Amino acid sequence: MAKIDLDKMLVKIKNTQWALSDIDWDAPGADLVTAEQWPQLKEFMADLMWIEHVGARAFAAMAKKAPTDTLREIYTYFHAEEQRHANAEMALMKRWGMLDGDELPEPNINLRLVIEWLDRYSDEMPVYVLGTVVPMLEIALDGALCKFLLDTVDDPVCHQAFEKINDDESRHLGVGFTVMEMQGHGATYIKMVEMAAQLMDPRLILGIASYFPLLNKMRDNVVAMGLSEEKLYACMRKFEKIGGRTEDGRRNVWFQIIKFHSRWVVDRNNRFYHAPVDAVVKLTGYIPRRVLPAVPSWVKELTYKPTA
Amino acid sequence: MTNATTSRKGTAKAATTSAKRASNVKPATVLIVGAGFAGLGTAIRLQQAGIRNIVILERASAVGGTWRDNSYPGAACDIPSNLYSYSFDPNPDWSRSFSGSAEILSYIEAMVERFGLQQYIRFNQNVTDLSYDDDHGLWHASTEGGASFSGRVAVMAQGPLSNPGFPAIPGIEDFKGKTVHSAAWDHDYDFRGKRVGVIGTGASAIQIIPELAKQAGKLTVFQRTPAWVMPRPDFETPDWQKTLFRKVPASQSALRKGLYLAHESMALAVIWQSPVTRLAERLGRWHLRRQVKDRWLRRQLTPDYRIGCKRILVSNDYYPALQQPNSKLITWPIARISENGVRTVEGIEHQFDAIVYATGFEVSHSGTPFPVRGSAGRLLADDWARGAQAYKSINVAGYPNLFLTFGPNSGPGHNSALVYMESQIDYIVKGVKTILKRNLKALAVKDRAQDEYNAGIQKRLARTNWNSGCKSWYLTEDGFNATMYPGFATQYANQMSELELRDYTLITA
Ligand SMILES: Cc1cc2nc3c(=O)[nH]c(=O)nc-3n(C[C@H](O)[C@H](O)[C@H](O)COP(=O)(O)OP(=O)(O)OC[C@H]3O[C@@H](n4cnc5c(N)ncnc54)[C@H](O)[C@@H]3O)c2cc1C
Ligand SMILES: [Fe+2]
Repeated sequence: MAKIDLDKMLVKIKNTQWALSDIDWDAPGADLVTAEQWPQLKEFMADLMWIEHVGARAFAAMAKKAPTDTLREIYTYFHAEEQRHANAEMALMKRWGMLDGDELPEPNINLRLVIEWLDRYSDEMPVYVLGTVVPMLEIALDGALCKFLLDTVDDPVCHQAFEKINDDESRHLGVGFTVMEMQGHGATYIKMVEMAAQLMDPRLILGIASYFPLLNKMRDNVVAMGLSEEKLYACMRKFEKIGGRTEDGRRNVWFQIIKFHSRWVVDRNNRFYHAPVDAVVKLTGYIPRRVLPAVPSWVKELTYKPTA
Repeated sequence: MTNATTSRKGTAKAATTSAKRASNVKPATVLIVGAGFAGLGTAIRLQQAGIRNIVILERASAVGGTWRDNSYPGAACDIPSNLYSYSFDPNPDWSRSFSGSAEILSYIEAMVERFGLQQYIRFNQNVTDLSYDDDHGLWHASTEGGASFSGRVAVMAQGPLSNPGFPAIPGIEDFKGKTVHSAAWDHDYDFRGKRVGVIGTGASAIQIIPELAKQAGKLTVFQRTPAWVMPRPDFETPDWQKTLFRKVPASQSALRKGLYLAHESMALAVIWQSPVTRLAERLGRWHLRRQVKDRWLRRQLTPDYRIGCKRILVSNDYYPALQQPNSKLITWPIARISENGVRTVEGIEHQFDAIVYATGFEVSHSGTPFPVRGSAGRLLADDWARGAQAYKSINVAGYPNLFLTFGPNSGPGHNSALVYMESQIDYIVKGVKTILKRNLKALAVKDRAQDEYNAGIQKRLARTNWNSGCKSWYLTEDGFNATMYPGFATQYANQMSELELRDYTLITA
């Protein structure tokens, strides 16, 4: 992946738009999802859909903070595109009979906590924090999960949808890594300390406290689907490889932090990390839904219907 | 009289008729393009100065300009009527503090009647070319039908916002339903119960939306950039006030003066960054918080630029209208327009019976609405290729005897356009009187005077909110501000109060 010209990228984004109605959601092939797969797949799709939605909300926050007009517009598009992915995935769930009427599927509790955090604090986070976490989320969760899905599900409509989604995602990642390098560019020691100092922000610590368990929870879900967690880790290593390919990229403190964190995540033997985080996953499982505040209204914008 | 410009246009027949007419008709003293507030006001003041040889060319079949064309539901001025009217023709009978479009149009029509302007107006004359003839010191206007008119002085009063503008969205011609532009409303179309999309959230949109929300079955509003919206102190005029104004006209001019000063003080918030700017932003945020309870919707409606950078809007019913059960605000970018509606980037096609474009006007920062040829055939669009420039907004070097209303850098951000227009009109009258009294062939502003004036203007503009980083129709693509006047209306009036002959070359006939 070479460094991208963002202005050209914006034009490309505008010229490659697609809509849900470009796909025939009633085409044959829905029955290729086996009865055996169905229950796990339902949960998996719901998570996937919510991860897209988390990405969407993060891009919305980044659009507010973007340093240039071009990036602001790009992030505004990405925000909508992630929403489109979530909508398309919901349409797949509808196709596979996984929705109860028009009900939105429930996110798992760890996602729910991340959504809560994003809604409260993401607009106030420095753009480079989100700018680094989001590519990680996209590569590890979006990227890896989509790959699993395509490996397991034979429905051609699913493949058709994900071909489009993956095209979008590769642009999101391209921009993501370019921005990470921009932020690392010419970073002095002082700037690095300043960037790292954000770690002390209690709002950010809260965010981390919801992000760590989310990764472990998703890992557990992946394993539950009978997939190899090694593949998830391979994706996370890709983040380290691409993000660190240039001097500028490596100078981005947040890249370094997230890189080290991802090394802990992929190292199951690191009891020091996994024991407490797994415990938190377990603990959060006990949080009764009713103590959580009402979902923010942007959540209700999701739809599986191609027309409104 | 030679008429090179009309023969350029059309058939041999048209050329001969116009040549014949041109040779028969004596040139007017003043040739005015446009019968809106500016053109009509100019005619009134000229007439009051004893100049009656006037021709007004108007492309439509009626007077009124902005207020004839903008008849959409909810159309009204957003500067109080007592200030958004001419001081030389006060109207004691305004029914509201902010009158509607129809009432403003009636005021203009009554003005035409009262001052007997009908005789000057040539309707259905769409000017397609305006050219200066150095030899005779005459301006020639050619119109669409092949007619031609001439005058010693030309006044371009064709309006800054008179050509409806559509956004550059792919597929805009594909839509099969009804398409309506705010500035060309179709009063025969019945919106009741229909699925209606509104594109744009600017000055016209926020007036239309509350009205459409009452009629449409489903209303979807597409927003690109949220604007600052202020509370609107609108009320019906009590009867005693009308009586008072009629019996004691001085009381009305006192109110006008008060409104004028109140608006002048807003320059502090609108034009420059000052503590008042912060205060105005606080007021805007308070208005939003009070009217919108949902956090996400409020986020969508919160502007991300400094107040004043773009036109400030006023409305009490816009935010509530967006929250009615039948309406919805969409902030996803528009991907394209399709046969059935609007496709946004979140992948959904929003289907409509009608799409309303409240997308403003074609604003040209460098071109001209029709070719304008000055001395030795030079083209104004060429001279303005890198941004429009004029001397005191009203004259352009190389274009003798030509006056502009609403010219470059005359835009008010905080006060009534008509206040500025009165200064321009009085300046034009001074210019015409000078030409007549001294029997000049040409009154031509000097290049140097224009350059000096503009250097000063651009320096002052650099410090304003308009040039503080947001994109708006005030600026060219490369951020040059050829639209706004960087100062108080009073400063503008002062600069226009004197015709400084040393800034002009005078050529006697
Ligand atoms: C919806 C709306 C609301 C507004 N509200 C306010 C407000 O509250 N306060 C304020 O200060 N300003 C307001 N304005 C700005 C408004 O444009 C001016 O105040 C004023 O009306 C402009 O008058 P004008 O005579 O210069 O132009 P116009 O009113 O546009 O008149 C120009 C005339 O020239 C004619 N013309 C154009 N081209 C040609 C041609 N080639 N040949 C012949 N004739 C031609 C047109 O048909 C038109 O009749 C508003 C504008 C709009 C659109
Ligand atoms: Fe995604």
